[in-house]
Amino acid sequence: MTNLEKLNNIFCEVFSVESSVLNSDFNNANVDGWDSVHQLSLTSSIEDEFDIMLDAEDILEFTSYDNAKTILAKYDIEL
Amino acid sequence: MARWQIKNVTLRGVTGTVPNRPVKSADLPFFTQEEADTFDATVGIKNRYIAPENTCASDLCFDAAERLIAGLGWEKESIDVLLFTSVTGDYKTPPTSAILQDRLGLPTSTFVLDVPMGCCGCIYSITVAGNLLTAGTAKRAIVLVGDTAMRMGNPKDKSRGPLFGDSGTAMALEFDPTAEDIIIDFNTLGSGYKALMTPHGGYRHPVTQESFVEEDFGNGIVRAPKDALINGMDVFSFAITKPATSFKKMLEEQGLDKDNDVDYFLIHQANKLIVDRLVKKLKLPVEKVPYNLQEFGNLGGASIVMLMTSEISEALSSRPLTLLCSSFGLGLTWATMVLRTKPMVTLPVNKI
Repeated sequence: MTNLEKLNNIFCEVFSVESSVLNSDFNNANVDGWDSVHQLSLTSSIEDEFDIMLDAEDILEFTSYDNAKTILAKYDIEL
Repeated sequence: MARWQIKNVTLRGVTGTVPNRPVKSADLPFFTQEEADTFDATVGIKNRYIAPENTCASDLCFDAAERLIAGLGWEKESIDVLLFTSVTGDYKTPPTSAILQDRLGLPTSTFVLDVPMGCCGCIYSITVAGNLLTAGTAKRAIVLVGDTAMRMGNPKDKSRGPLFGDSGTAMALEFDPTAEDIIIDFNTLGSGYKALMTPHGGYRHPVTQESFVEEDFGNGIVRAPKDALINGMDVFSFAITKPATSFKKMLEEQGLDKDNDVDYFLIHQANKLIVDRLVKKLKLPVEKVPYNLQEFGNLGGASIVMLMTSEISEALSSRPLTLLCSSFGLGLTWATMVLRTKPMVTLPVNKI
């Protein structure tokens, strides 16, 4: 499984959506139920999957699918 | 910098009481079964005990106090200080601690104080009682910490209601010149006060008809200004940054090796995600980090006291321990405490 597939799977599981909806509009303003619990759940799963430890600032910035990809690049995760 | 080094004070005993009304997540009106399953798996709070309307935090604390005083064999006349640490007191006035002095049959010479400080309540009350006892002028303190937090919120607020449970706990502290110092780091970020608040009902905004007008904020959050609120994202950003910094600083300054010098890390049971985050961030040995949120939920200020009661009572009663405690909440406030205990009286959780 590629890193992008792993990332998508986590988003799909946390938000109970299909991967086809993951795009630049998938963010905390547009997604119903994107609250602090979902955000921490999302980042915890990503840390476990990619074996990284996100800085608190990055967890707080984890507010969209696009941001997620940008932040993962900072941790040398190639998508 | 609020750094306390409290001398001559020992924790002699601890216990807790909950209402005998367990409520599973799926039984709450907020959730479908599927939502409850997701909540249980992520937030980790599968059960909580909810008091009936006619039971107050003081009633639960009263039970804990009576049992603890009896278990210690303390004459009530020997008790000098009574603290009641809660944001859900009986009345706006008078202080509930005064009412409890009478209910518990403590002498009229008792110094009483209410400490309405929320989730840092345990560490706040140990700080206050410890400083009152340290000189030996007062010798014995009963410290009660409890809340009925569920009913502070709106029954239609899914962001808050499922998190909390009700309880009343009791600790006994005593002047003891042979005690190890209690070290406490306290911090306050008042600029963040709106993250956790009850907008109406104080004197800034007394209760009016407007206080009862509900608003739908989406995502299952309906509440009125009289209801306590949680601004999840603000609390979340606070909880994953500030406590860990204080915790780490305490370890370094006290020269504590987390693997060898600390027996247990007692972390405020806000929710599993936040506690897990602290454990991971600080690389704490997981076997030394007890959880009880799956059974009791977030008990506010009583959280750490209940961890002692429900999770480590045998160790507390049988051998000296070094505890590193972390709490964070209303204010916003956060604290880290090093508490070195001697074998003490621990009584099991009572359900009434």
